[in-house]
Amino acid sequence: RWYATEASASTSGLRLSFVLPHQTIYKGVEVQQVNIAATSGDMGILASHVPSIEQLRPGVVEVIENANATKKFFGEYTNKLGTNYLVSGGFAIINPNSSLDINAVEAFPLEDFSPEAIRANLAEAQRTATSGSSEEERNIAKVEVEVLESLQSALGSK
Amino acid sequence: MFAIRPVVANATTRSVGCQHRNYATLKEIQLRLKSVRSIAKITKSMKMIASTKMTRAQKTMEIARTFGSTQTALFTNADTKPTEEGTTLIITVSSDRGLCGGIHSSVSKASRKHVQEKPNSQVVVLGDKAKAQLSRTIRNNIRLSFNQIGKATPTYTEACAIADTILNEKIEFDQAIIVYNYFKSVISYEADTIPVFSESTFSKSGNFDAYEVEDDVLENLHEFALANSIYWGLAEGHASEMASKRSAMENATKNAGEMIDKLTLTYNRGRQAVITSELIDIITGASAI
Repeated sequence: RWYATEASASTSGLRLSFVLPHQTIYKGVEVQQVNIAATSGDMGILASHVPSIEQLRPGVVEVIENANATKKFFGEYTNKLGTNYLVSGGFAIINPNSSLDINAVEAFPLEDFSPEAIRANLAEAQRTATSGSSEEERNIAKVEVEVLESLQSALGSK
Repeated sequence: MFAIRPVVANATTRSVGCQHRNYATLKEIQLRLKSVRSIAKITKSMKMIASTKMTRAQKTMEIARTFGSTQTALFTNADTKPTEEGTTLIITVSSDRGLCGGIHSSVSKASRKHVQEKPNSQVVVLGDKAKAQLSRTIRNNIRLSFNQIGKATPTYTEACAIADTILNEKIEFDQAIIVYNYFKSVISYEADTIPVFSESTFSKSGNFDAYEVEDDVLENLHEFALANSIYWGLAEGHASEMASKRSAMENATKNAGEMIDKLTLTYNRGRQAVITSELIDIITGASAI
Protein backbone atom coordinates (compact mmCIF):
# COMPACT_ATOMS: atom_id res chain seq x y z
CA ARG A 1 0.00 0.00 0.00
CA TRP A 2 1.35 3.34 -0.89
CA TYR A 3 0.81 6.41 1.13
CA ALA A 4 0.22 9.42 -0.98
CA THR A 5 3.48 11.22 -1.31
CA GLU A 6 3.47 14.65 0.13
CA ALA A 7 2.95 17.17 -2.58
CA SER A 8 6.37 18.54 -3.42
CA ALA A 9 6.70 21.95 -1.94
CA SER A 10 6.26 23.70 -5.22
CA THR A 11 8.73 26.47 -5.43
CA SER A 12 6.67 27.82 -8.27
CA GLY A 13 3.47 28.40 -6.37
CA LEU A 14 0.33 29.39 -8.20
CA ARG A 15 1.01 31.80 -11.05
CA LEU A 16 -2.01 33.89 -11.88
CA SER A 17 -2.78 35.74 -15.09
CA PHE A 18 -6.04 37.63 -14.73
CA VAL A 19 -6.61 39.50 -17.98
CA LEU A 20 -9.40 41.54 -19.53
CA PRO A 21 -9.66 42.84 -23.10
CA HIS A 22 -8.90 46.39 -21.97
CA GLN A 23 -6.94 45.84 -18.81
CA THR A 24 -4.35 43.44 -17.43
CA ILE A 25 -5.02 42.93 -13.74
CA TYR A 26 -2.40 40.24 -13.03
CA LYS A 27 0.16 38.77 -15.38
CA GLY A 28 2.24 35.86 -14.20
CA VAL A 29 2.05 36.97 -10.58
CA GLU A 30 2.60 34.41 -7.84
CA VAL A 31 -0.36 34.28 -5.53
CA GLN A 32 -1.43 32.06 -2.70
CA GLN A 33 -5.02 31.24 -3.56
CA VAL A 34 -7.78 32.29 -5.93
CA ASN A 35 -11.47 31.67 -5.26
CA ILE A 36 -13.64 31.65 -8.34
CA ALA A 37 -17.37 31.38 -9.02
CA ALA A 38 -17.63 28.74 -11.75
CA THR A 39 -20.72 27.34 -13.43
CA SER A 40 -19.98 24.02 -11.75
CA GLY A 41 -19.75 25.67 -8.34
CA ASP A 42 -17.51 27.86 -6.28
CA MET A 43 -13.95 26.66 -5.98
CA GLY A 44 -10.72 27.67 -4.41
CA ILE A 45 -7.59 27.18 -6.46
CA LEU A 46 -4.21 26.61 -4.85
CA ALA A 47 -0.87 25.69 -6.35
CA SER A 48 -0.67 22.30 -8.09
CA HIS A 49 -4.42 22.16 -8.63
CA VAL A 50 -5.69 19.56 -11.06
CA PRO A 51 -5.65 21.07 -14.58
CA SER A 52 -9.16 22.01 -15.62
CA ILE A 53 -11.19 24.39 -17.71
CA GLU A 54 -13.98 26.20 -15.91
CA GLN A 55 -16.52 28.64 -17.21
CA LEU A 56 -17.08 31.57 -14.87
CA ARG A 57 -20.55 32.67 -13.93
CA PRO A 58 -21.21 36.28 -12.94
CA GLY A 59 -19.80 36.51 -9.46
CA VAL A 60 -16.84 37.26 -7.33
CA VAL A 61 -13.26 36.25 -7.98
CA GLU A 62 -11.12 36.62 -4.91
CA VAL A 63 -7.35 36.83 -5.18
CA ILE A 64 -5.34 36.13 -2.04
CA GLU A 65 -1.81 37.16 -2.75
CA ASN A 66 0.05 36.24 0.35
CA ALA A 67 -1.07 34.06 3.24
CA ASN A 68 0.83 36.21 5.66
CA ALA A 69 -0.21 39.43 4.08
CA THR A 70 0.76 42.27 6.24
CA LYS A 71 -0.87 44.62 3.79
CA LYS A 72 -4.14 45.93 5.05
CA PHE A 73 -6.87 46.61 2.56
CA PHE A 74 -9.04 49.48 3.54
CA GLY A 75 -12.75 49.37 2.86
CA GLU A 76 -15.36 47.08 4.26
CA TYR A 77 -15.76 45.07 1.12
CA THR A 78 -12.43 43.36 1.06
CA ASN A 79 -11.74 40.20 2.95
CA LYS A 80 -8.88 40.64 5.33
CA LEU A 81 -6.43 39.03 2.97
CA GLY A 82 -7.82 39.04 -0.54
CA THR A 83 -8.94 41.46 -3.23
CA ASN A 84 -12.42 40.79 -4.55
CA TYR A 85 -13.41 41.43 -8.12
CA LEU A 86 -16.86 41.19 -9.59
CA VAL A 87 -16.53 39.32 -12.86
CA SER A 88 -19.27 39.36 -15.49
CA GLY A 89 -18.19 36.17 -17.21
CA GLY A 90 -15.25 34.39 -18.76
CA PHE A 91 -13.10 31.32 -18.40
CA ALA A 92 -10.62 30.09 -15.85
CA ILE A 93 -8.03 27.63 -17.05
CA ILE A 94 -5.72 25.79 -14.71
CA ASN A 95 -2.75 24.48 -16.62
CA PRO A 96 -0.54 21.50 -15.77
CA ASN A 97 2.34 23.83 -14.94
CA SER A 98 0.46 25.25 -11.95
CA SER A 99 -0.56 28.45 -13.71
CA LEU A 100 -4.05 29.85 -13.60
CA ASP A 101 -5.28 31.89 -16.55
CA ILE A 102 -8.47 33.85 -16.08
CA ASN A 103 -9.84 35.51 -19.20
CA ALA A 104 -12.79 37.68 -18.22
CA VAL A 105 -14.81 40.18 -20.16
CA GLU A 106 -15.21 42.67 -17.34
CA ALA A 107 -13.96 42.76 -13.77
CA PHE A 108 -14.11 45.48 -11.18
CA PRO A 109 -12.96 45.59 -7.55
CA LEU A 110 -15.94 45.21 -5.26
CA GLU A 111 -15.26 48.42 -3.42
CA ASP A 112 -16.02 50.35 -6.60
CA PHE A 113 -19.70 49.49 -6.38
CA SER A 114 -22.34 51.44 -4.45
CA PRO A 115 -25.23 49.49 -2.89
CA GLU A 116 -27.82 52.14 -3.75
CA ALA A 117 -26.93 52.07 -7.44
CA ILE A 118 -27.11 48.27 -7.41
CA ARG A 119 -30.55 48.31 -5.76
CA ALA A 120 -31.85 50.84 -8.28
CA ASN A 121 -30.46 48.99 -11.29
CA LEU A 122 -31.69 45.66 -9.97
CA ALA A 123 -35.26 46.92 -9.58
CA GLU A 124 -35.16 48.34 -13.10
CA ALA A 125 -33.74 45.13 -14.54
CA GLN A 126 -36.30 42.97 -12.77
CA ARG A 127 -39.04 45.15 -14.17
CA THR A 128 -37.69 44.80 -17.72
CA ALA A 129 -37.19 41.07 -17.27
CA THR A 130 -40.87 40.50 -16.64
CA SER A 131 -42.47 43.20 -18.74
CA GLY A 132 -39.95 43.89 -21.48
CA SER A 133 -41.23 44.50 -24.99
CA SER A 134 -39.21 41.88 -26.87
CA GLU A 135 -37.87 38.42 -26.06
CA GLU A 136 -34.33 39.63 -26.59
CA GLU A 137 -34.81 42.56 -24.24
CA ARG A 138 -36.21 40.26 -21.57
CA ASN A 139 -33.28 37.86 -21.91
CA ILE A 140 -30.76 40.67 -21.63
CA ALA A 141 -32.59 41.90 -18.53
CA LYS A 142 -32.51 38.41 -17.03
CA VAL A 143 -28.72 38.28 -17.41
CA GLU A 144 -28.52 41.72 -15.84
CA VAL A 145 -30.62 40.54 -12.89
CA GLU A 146 -28.32 37.55 -12.40
CA VAL A 147 -25.20 39.70 -12.34
CA LEU A 148 -26.73 42.32 -10.04
CA GLU A 149 -28.10 39.75 -7.61
CA SER A 150 -24.74 38.05 -7.26
CA LEU A 151 -23.14 41.45 -6.82
CA GLN A 152 -25.62 42.32 -4.11
CA SER A 153 -25.03 39.09 -2.24
CA ALA A 154 -21.27 39.49 -2.55
CA LEU A 155 -21.46 42.95 -1.08
CA GLY A 156 -23.90 41.85 1.58
CA SER A 157 -21.80 38.94 2.76
CA LYS A 158 -18.50 40.77 3.05
CA MET B 1 14.65 63.86 -91.34
CA PHE B 2 12.55 64.83 -88.43
CA ALA B 3 14.17 66.09 -85.28
CA ILE B 4 12.46 64.52 -82.35
CA ARG B 5 11.24 67.30 -80.19
CA PRO B 6 9.47 66.94 -76.86
CA VAL B 7 5.80 67.79 -77.31
CA VAL B 8 5.35 69.69 -74.09
CA ALA B 9 8.10 71.60 -72.39
CA ASN B 10 8.42 69.87 -69.06
CA ALA B 11 8.66 72.64 -66.54
CA THR B 12 10.88 70.70 -64.17
CA THR B 13 13.43 69.37 -66.64
CA ARG B 14 13.81 72.37 -68.91
CA SER B 15 15.08 75.31 -66.91
CA VAL B 16 16.81 77.96 -68.95
CA GLY B 17 16.19 77.78 -72.65
CA CYS B 18 13.05 78.66 -74.52
CA GLN B 19 12.79 82.32 -73.73
CA HIS B 20 9.55 82.79 -75.57
CA ARG B 21 7.91 80.20 -73.36
CA ASN B 22 9.30 81.52 -70.09
CA TYR B 23 6.18 83.17 -68.74
CA ALA B 24 4.07 80.14 -69.38
CA THR B 25 6.79 77.98 -67.81
CA LEU B 26 7.00 80.22 -64.77
CA LYS B 27 3.25 80.11 -64.32
CA GLU B 28 3.27 76.34 -64.60
CA ILE B 29 6.01 76.02 -62.02
CA GLN B 30 4.20 78.37 -59.69
CA LEU B 31 1.00 76.35 -60.00
CA ARG B 32 2.82 73.13 -59.36
CA LEU B 33 4.64 74.62 -56.38
CA LYS B 34 1.34 75.71 -54.87
CA SER B 35 -0.22 72.29 -55.26
CA VAL B 36 2.81 70.41 -53.92
CA ARG B 37 2.96 72.74 -50.93
CA SER B 38 -0.66 72.07 -50.03
CA ILE B 39 -0.14 68.33 -50.46
CA ALA B 40 2.85 68.53 -48.12
CA LYS B 41 0.66 70.23 -45.52
CA ILE B 42 -2.00 67.55 -45.85
CA THR B 43 0.44 64.67 -45.54
CA LYS B 44 2.13 66.33 -42.58
CA SER B 45 -1.15 66.66 -40.72
CA MET B 46 -2.08 63.08 -41.62
CA LYS B 47 1.23 61.99 -40.15
CA MET B 48 0.49 63.84 -36.89
CA ILE B 49 -2.96 62.29 -36.65
CA ALA B 50 -1.59 58.84 -37.41
CA SER B 51 1.11 59.13 -34.76
CA THR B 52 -1.32 60.13 -32.00
CA LYS B 53 -3.67 57.33 -33.06
CA MET B 54 -0.70 55.00 -33.10
CA THR B 55 0.32 55.65 -29.49
CA ARG B 56 -3.22 55.01 -28.36
CA ALA B 57 -3.52 51.92 -30.55
CA GLN B 58 -0.21 50.63 -29.24
CA LYS B 59 -1.41 50.78 -25.63
CA THR B 60 -4.60 48.92 -26.52
CA MET B 61 -2.56 46.41 -28.49
CA GLU B 62 -0.25 45.58 -25.57
CA ILE B 63 -3.21 44.74 -23.36
CA ALA B 64 -4.97 42.87 -26.14
CA ARG B 65 -1.81 40.90 -26.78
CA THR B 66 -1.64 39.79 -23.15
CA PHE B 67 -5.32 38.92 -23.24
CA GLY B 68 -5.14 37.00 -26.50
CA SER B 69 -1.92 35.16 -25.76
CA THR B 70 -3.26 34.03 -22.39
CA GLN B 71 -6.20 32.52 -24.26
CA THR B 72 -4.07 30.75 -26.86
CA ALA B 73 -1.73 29.45 -24.14
CA LEU B 74 -4.43 26.87 -23.50
CA PHE B 75 -3.99 25.44 -26.98
CA THR B 76 -0.23 25.34 -26.50
CA ASN B 77 -0.50 23.61 -23.16
CA ALA B 78 -3.06 21.17 -24.49
CA ASP B 79 -0.88 20.52 -27.52
CA THR B 80 -3.73 21.08 -29.95
CA LYS B 81 -2.83 20.45 -33.56
CA PRO B 82 -4.83 21.33 -36.69
CA THR B 83 -6.31 18.27 -38.35
CA GLU B 84 -4.96 17.40 -41.78
CA GLU B 85 -8.27 16.86 -43.54
CA GLY B 86 -10.20 19.38 -41.50
CA THR B 87 -11.92 22.42 -42.91
CA THR B 88 -10.25 25.73 -42.32
CA LEU B 89 -11.75 29.16 -41.91
CA ILE B 90 -9.46 32.07 -42.68
CA ILE B 91 -10.31 35.38 -41.06
CA THR B 92 -8.41 38.22 -42.72
CA VAL B 93 -8.01 41.33 -40.58
CA SER B 94 -7.58 44.52 -42.55
CA SER B 95 -9.42 47.83 -42.71
CA ASP B 96 -11.37 50.19 -44.95
CA ARG B 97 -8.82 53.00 -45.11
CA GLY B 98 -6.06 53.47 -47.65
CA LEU B 99 -2.83 55.46 -47.64
CA CYS B 100 -1.31 53.19 -45.04
CA GLY B 101 1.56 51.51 -46.82
CA GLY B 102 1.56 47.80 -47.55
CA ILE B 103 -0.78 46.68 -44.76
CA HIS B 104 -3.57 45.32 -46.91
CA SER B 105 -1.27 43.68 -49.43
CA SER B 106 0.68 41.94 -46.68
CA VAL B 107 -2.43 40.39 -45.16
CA SER B 108 -3.97 39.55 -48.55
CA LYS B 109 -0.79 37.83 -49.70
CA ALA B 110 -0.68 35.71 -46.56
CA SER B 111 -4.36 34.78 -46.92
CA ARG B 112 -3.87 33.85 -50.54
CA LYS B 113 -0.96 31.60 -49.60
CA HIS B 114 -3.11 29.79 -47.02
CA VAL B 115 -5.87 29.33 -49.57
CA GLN B 116 -3.36 27.86 -52.01
CA GLU B 117 -2.37 25.28 -49.41
CA LYS B 118 -5.99 24.44 -48.62
CA PRO B 119 -8.09 25.35 -51.66
CA ASN B 120 -11.46 24.67 -50.07
CA SER B 121 -10.98 27.00 -47.11
CA GLN B 122 -13.59 29.61 -46.50
CA VAL B 123 -12.57 33.21 -46.01
CA VAL B 124 -14.11 35.93 -43.89
CA VAL B 125 -12.75 39.38 -44.68
CA LEU B 126 -12.74 42.27 -42.24
CA GLY B 127 -12.22 45.49 -44.16
CA ASP B 128 -13.02 46.69 -47.67
CA LYS B 129 -9.45 47.08 -48.87
CA ALA B 130 -8.54 43.44 -48.31
CA LYS B 131 -11.89 42.41 -49.75
CA ALA B 132 -11.06 44.26 -52.97
CA GLN B 133 -7.65 42.62 -53.19
CA LEU B 134 -8.87 39.13 -52.38
CA SER B 135 -11.89 39.38 -54.70
CA ARG B 136 -9.51 39.58 -57.59
CA THR B 137 -8.07 36.13 -57.00
CA ILE B 138 -10.09 34.07 -54.52
CA ARG B 139 -13.55 35.54 -54.82
CA ASN B 140 -15.22 32.12 -54.60
CA ASN B 141 -13.77 31.40 -51.20
CA ILE B 142 -15.04 34.57 -49.57
CA ARG B 143 -17.98 33.71 -47.41
CA LEU B 144 -18.55 36.90 -45.41
CA SER B 145 -17.15 40.38 -45.39
CA PHE B 146 -17.35 43.15 -42.85
CA ASN B 147 -16.75 46.84 -43.27
CA GLN B 148 -16.59 49.90 -41.01
CA ILE B 149 -13.41 48.39 -39.63
CA GLY B 150 -10.47 50.53 -38.68
CA LYS B 151 -12.21 53.84 -38.03
CA ALA B 152 -11.29 53.78 -34.36
CA THR B 153 -9.40 51.59 -31.94
CA PRO B 154 -11.21 48.25 -31.90
CA THR B 155 -13.35 47.37 -28.91
CA TYR B 156 -14.15 43.94 -27.51
CA THR B 157 -17.80 44.56 -28.37
CA GLU B 158 -16.91 44.77 -32.07
CA ALA B 159 -14.97 41.53 -31.87
CA CYS B 160 -17.91 39.86 -30.14
CA ALA B 161 -20.31 41.10 -32.81
CA ILE B 162 -18.07 39.73 -35.56
CA ALA B 163 -17.69 36.36 -33.82
CA ASP B 164 -21.43 36.25 -33.24
CA THR B 165 -22.20 36.86 -36.93
CA ILE B 166 -19.72 34.20 -38.02
CA LEU B 167 -21.23 31.66 -35.64
CA ASN B 168 -24.78 32.57 -36.65
CA GLU B 169 -23.92 31.94 -40.29
CA LYS B 170 -23.27 28.36 -39.21
CA ILE B 171 -19.93 28.28 -40.97
CA GLU B 172 -18.52 24.87 -40.07
CA PHE B 173 -14.81 24.68 -39.48
CA ASP B 174 -12.35 22.47 -37.66
CA GLN B 175 -9.87 25.21 -37.20
CA ALA B 176 -9.81 28.89 -37.90
CA ILE B 177 -6.78 31.03 -38.48
CA ILE B 178 -6.87 34.75 -38.04
CA VAL B 179 -4.48 36.43 -40.47
CA TYR B 180 -3.37 39.81 -39.16
CA ASN B 181 -0.39 42.13 -39.14
CA TYR B 182 1.76 41.52 -36.10
CA PHE B 183 3.11 44.77 -34.72
CA LYS B 184 6.86 44.30 -34.44
CA SER B 185 7.84 47.91 -33.93
CA VAL B 186 6.89 51.43 -34.89
CA ILE B 187 8.47 50.92 -38.30
CA SER B 188 7.81 47.26 -38.98
CA TYR B 189 5.01 44.74 -38.99
CA GLU B 190 4.65 41.23 -40.28
CA ALA B 191 1.73 39.04 -41.30
CA ASP B 192 1.07 36.39 -38.71
CA THR B 193 -1.70 33.98 -37.68
CA ILE B 194 -3.68 33.15 -34.55
CA PRO B 195 -5.20 29.67 -34.38
CA VAL B 196 -8.68 28.89 -33.06
CA PHE B 197 -9.84 25.29 -32.78
CA SER B 198 -13.33 23.82 -32.79
CA GLU B 199 -14.56 21.68 -29.93
CA SER B 200 -13.93 18.44 -31.82
CA THR B 201 -10.40 19.41 -32.83
CA PHE B 202 -9.65 20.60 -29.31
CA SER B 203 -10.91 17.40 -27.73
CA LYS B 204 -8.46 15.50 -29.93
CA SER B 205 -5.55 17.46 -28.48
CA GLY B 206 -2.50 15.62 -27.31
CA ASN B 207 -2.75 16.75 -23.73
CA PHE B 208 -6.53 17.02 -23.54
CA ASP B 209 -6.92 14.24 -21.01
CA ALA B 210 -4.89 16.14 -18.49
CA TYR B 211 -7.71 18.65 -18.15
CA GLU B 212 -10.90 18.19 -16.20
CA VAL B 213 -13.65 19.70 -18.29
CA GLU B 214 -17.40 19.53 -18.32
CA ASP B 215 -18.66 18.89 -21.84
CA ASP B 216 -21.14 21.71 -22.09
CA VAL B 217 -18.37 24.17 -21.34
CA LEU B 218 -16.40 23.30 -24.49
CA GLU B 219 -18.73 25.00 -26.93
CA ASN B 220 -18.73 28.17 -24.90
CA LEU B 221 -14.96 27.99 -24.66
CA HIS B 222 -14.73 27.73 -28.44
CA GLU B 223 -16.95 30.79 -28.99
CA PHE B 224 -15.11 32.73 -26.30
CA ALA B 225 -11.73 31.84 -27.83
CA LEU B 226 -12.95 32.93 -31.26
CA ALA B 227 -14.08 36.35 -30.00
CA ASN B 228 -10.87 36.83 -28.00
CA SER B 229 -8.62 35.96 -30.92
CA ILE B 230 -10.56 38.21 -33.28
CA TYR B 231 -10.17 41.04 -30.78
CA TRP B 232 -6.43 40.41 -30.55
CA GLY B 233 -6.09 40.36 -34.35
CA LEU B 234 -8.10 43.57 -34.70
CA ALA B 235 -6.08 45.42 -32.06
CA GLU B 236 -2.71 44.42 -33.51
CA GLY B 237 -3.87 45.08 -37.05
CA HIS B 238 -5.02 48.54 -36.07
CA ALA B 239 -1.74 49.36 -34.34
CA SER B 240 0.28 48.14 -37.33
CA GLU B 241 -1.92 50.15 -39.69
CA MET B 242 -1.49 53.38 -37.74
CA ALA B 243 2.27 52.87 -37.53
CA SER B 244 2.49 52.13 -41.25
CA LYS B 245 0.31 55.11 -42.11
CA ARG B 246 2.54 57.33 -40.01
CA SER B 247 5.68 56.26 -41.79
CA ALA B 248 3.98 56.38 -45.22
CA MET B 249 2.86 59.95 -44.58
CA GLU B 250 6.28 60.86 -43.26
CA ASN B 251 7.88 59.62 -46.48
CA ALA B 252 5.27 61.45 -48.52
CA THR B 253 5.98 64.68 -46.67
CA LYS B 254 9.72 64.23 -47.12
CA ASN B 255 9.31 63.58 -50.85
CA ALA B 256 6.99 66.55 -51.19
CA GLY B 257 9.60 68.68 -49.42
CA GLU B 258 12.27 67.55 -51.87
CA MET B 259 9.99 68.33 -54.80
CA ILE B 260 9.33 71.78 -53.38
CA ASP B 261 13.07 72.45 -53.09
CA LYS B 262 13.73 71.38 -56.65
CA LEU B 263 10.79 73.31 -58.03
CA THR B 264 11.78 76.45 -56.12
CA LEU B 265 15.26 76.30 -57.58
CA THR B 266 13.86 75.83 -61.07
CA TYR B 267 11.44 78.69 -60.54
CA ASN B 268 14.15 81.06 -59.35
CA ARG B 269 16.42 80.16 -62.21
CA GLY B 270 13.58 80.77 -64.66
CA ARG B 271 12.73 84.05 -63.01
CA GLN B 272 16.34 85.21 -63.19
CA ALA B 273 16.53 84.16 -66.83
CA VAL B 274 13.48 86.28 -67.63
CA ILE B 275 14.96 89.28 -65.85
CA THR B 276 18.29 88.81 -67.60
CA SER B 277 16.68 88.62 -71.02
CA GLU B 278 14.61 91.72 -70.32
CA LEU B 279 17.74 93.56 -69.25
CA ILE B 280 19.52 92.46 -72.42
CA ASP B 281 16.60 93.77 -74.49
CA ILE B 282 16.72 97.10 -72.71
CA ILE B 283 20.47 97.44 -72.96
CA THR B 284 20.67 96.51 -76.65
CA GLY B 285 17.77 98.83 -77.31
CA ALA B 286 19.49 101.62 -75.38
CA SER B 287 22.85 101.06 -77.04
CA ALA B 288 21.18 101.18 -80.47
CA ILE B 289 20.02 104.69 -79.83
